[in-house]
Amino acid sequence: MVIKVENLTKRYGDLIALDNFNLEVNHGEIFGLLGPNGSGKTTAINCILSLLKYDKGTVKIYNKPMAPDAYDIKEKIGLVMQNVAVFEELTVYENVDYFCGLYIKNKKLRLKLVEEAIDFVGISYYKDFYPKMLSGGLLRRLNIACGIAHQPKLIIFDEPTVAVDPQSRINILEGIQKLNKAGATIIYTSHYMEEVEQICTRIGIMDKGRIIAIGTKEELKDMISSGEKITVELFSMDNKILEDIKGLPHIVSAEYRDNSLIVRSSKGKNNLVSVLDYLKSNDIDFGRIYSEPPTLNDVFLEITGKELRD
Amino acid sequence: MLVYKAFFKIIKKNMAQIAIYFVIFLFLAVFLASIYTDPANMDFMESKIDMVFISHDKDSKLVDGLKEFIGERANFIPIANDEQKLRDALFFREVEYIVRVPKGFTQAFMEGEEIRLEKTVVPGSASSVYMDSLINKYLNTARLYVDNIEGLSQQQLADYISEDLSHQAEVLMLNPDPDKRLNEKRTYYFNYLAYSLFAILVLGISAALKVFNQPDLANRNLCSPLRLRDMDFQLILGNICFAILTCLIMILPSFVMYRGHMFTLKGLLFILNTFVFSLAVLGISFLTGNIVKSRNAISAVANVLSLGTCFISGVFVPRDFLGDTLLKFASLTPTYWYVKSNHIIGSMERLKEEDVRAILTSFIVMLVFAVTAFAVSMVLKKQKYMRQVRGF
Ligand SMILES: Nc1ncnc2c1ncn2[C@@H]1O[C@H](COP(=O)(O)OP(=O)(O)O)[C@@H](O)[C@H]1O
Ligand SMILES: [Mg+2]
Repeated sequence: MVIKVENLTKRYGDLIALDNFNLEVNHGEIFGLLGPNGSGKTTAINCILSLLKYDKGTVKIYNKPMAPDAYDIKEKIGLVMQNVAVFEELTVYENVDYFCGLYIKNKKLRLKLVEEAIDFVGISYYKDFYPKMLSGGLLRRLNIACGIAHQPKLIIFDEPTVAVDPQSRINILEGIQKLNKAGATIIYTSHYMEEVEQICTRIGIMDKGRIIAIGTKEELKDMISSGEKITVELFSMDNKILEDIKGLPHIVSAEYRDNSLIVRSSKGKNNLVSVLDYLKSNDIDFGRIYSEPPTLNDVFLEITGKELRD
Repeated sequence: MLVYKAFFKIIKKNMAQIAIYFVIFLFLAVFLASIYTDPANMDFMESKIDMVFISHDKDSKLVDGLKEFIGERANFIPIANDEQKLRDALFFREVEYIVRVPKGFTQAFMEGEEIRLEKTVVPGSASSVYMDSLINKYLNTARLYVDNIEGLSQQQLADYISEDLSHQAEVLMLNPDPDKRLNEKRTYYFNYLAYSLFAILVLGISAALKVFNQPDLANRNLCSPLRLRDMDFQLILGNICFAILTCLIMILPSFVMYRGHMFTLKGLLFILNTFVFSLAVLGISFLTGNIVKSRNAISAVANVLSLGTCFISGVFVPRDFLGDTLLKFASLTPTYWYVKSNHIIGSMERLKEEDVRAILTSFIVMLVFAVTAFAVSMVLKKQKYMRQVRGF
């Protein structure tokens, strides 16, 4: 077990930021912590790393209690913080060298690791630039290089793709998968479900300081009653037809808004054909049709009654 | 020594701002210190002040005596007693000082009543201050005689005063000291140094500490295996090295300007005083660096602290011109003690015991400043850390 958190509770005054938060992360995972802004992801990370004191609970990392002075554990961890934390006064190279140097004393080894990290995130060209001169995406990559240069066994990424250009986003997501393949256990927090679905091997969905569902993305989608979502462009619709569609077998819900009919079906069944057959047999003209498998947003929606996206 | 190196890289990045204060210092030290003359020892014969003397008190020997006495140091400009003309004359700097003796002044004075001369001066004029002191000198002496000898006639009084004051002037002139000017200059060189040293240390150290205290960077360091104690040690070492380096660079020009005179006991004491002072300033910089958050606030604090303490401690204005209350307040700053021992070092002839004691007292007070400021900042730092991280 890489991380085991039990009943972690953290209050900011009256606000309960973590509410009996439990988490287990296994070796070799890319564990995704998915939750909307303010759900407590960063607070959880900071408490786990003993950067923030908490009111209740226990944190074990590599089977040892984590504490502010647990330096042997800290050595094994890499942290890429949500906010870019680099020295404005140091160049790209000097920054990576500084943060790597906090862990690696051997100068020769460090030189190699720093070069590798800079290469890895693809900012070699900007080595002598100061952070002020970098775009948001490059700055995030620098932040990552600083966090991973010492080749830690456990790497925590806290929303590393917020406000980056698509190219940097791809670079970052692929990089994380490569690090994982090279043997690192990853914790990845995000409020973008697509990213989490794309790279995480296991996902915990967070809301209001708790993990409300946990599992692989397939397991998560199995937890909910709705399956595929069918959207049909329709320019008019009367209530009778809507009620008829709701009555069709395996249909969980149907609604009409913005010139579209949205039908959710129970899982595992292909219901598109029966819906289209019904529309045709009633001589109703329709436009484009989409069919989507359930997303993590649907999971979130069904458990919390609200959308994951803001 | 990663933190130590990063500390100096941050200082280097702030060099432009820091260098400005060094240039200001060079200007003050080289230019001002060399033309500086202590107003208390100023030779009034050399610069006569243009003034108007109007007396509404006719036939007074006392007033005549006063006019004669200040006449040695002033040119009386004949301007009619017309409000508008006098104001123009002041405005166009034809005269710097107008004094009016009110009617019945002499009689009131002889009877011991509280009475004043009316004066109008060019605002900010330095020579008007000397004229004030001349007039005060004359009238105070007169008051002394009037209060102590009964039935004194005006003529006798005027004679006594003029003899008295000419005697005093002679004593002053009979004090030729070839080193005196040099010592004064060196004193002022080191006094000016206080201003720039203060500004540079606060700016540099606060700027660097502020970076390390940024919440995100602080957390990033905190999650690494770097020991907190190790980090503090490197930062403090950086501070001390920076302070010593700054001192050395600022003392260097004194060797160029005063050469051999710096290799004397006086020279060494000036330098030692500067080092002790820099420790106190270091403590204060450490404190401000741990309290002040924004970059702009740091420049503001550096300016206010350096200029403010220097002003009230008599770096730019001679201490005689500062009020007692202000000086009491100034003694709560290390600059006051630094300037004080500079003056003692500058003016002493041999190493007298009382001088040694006074200098040592100043050193100890400055060291107390250093230790206190330092201890307070460490406690604040520790508290902040405990509040955030510890205690579960
Ligand atoms: N220092 C703080 N003081 C008070 N409230 C805070 C503080 N930091 C975070 N919070 C609150 O705690 C909750 C969780 O925040 P956070 O952990 O940053 O969420 P996330 O990282 O998921 O966006 C939010 O409601 C936030 O406003
Ligand atoms: Mg967050």
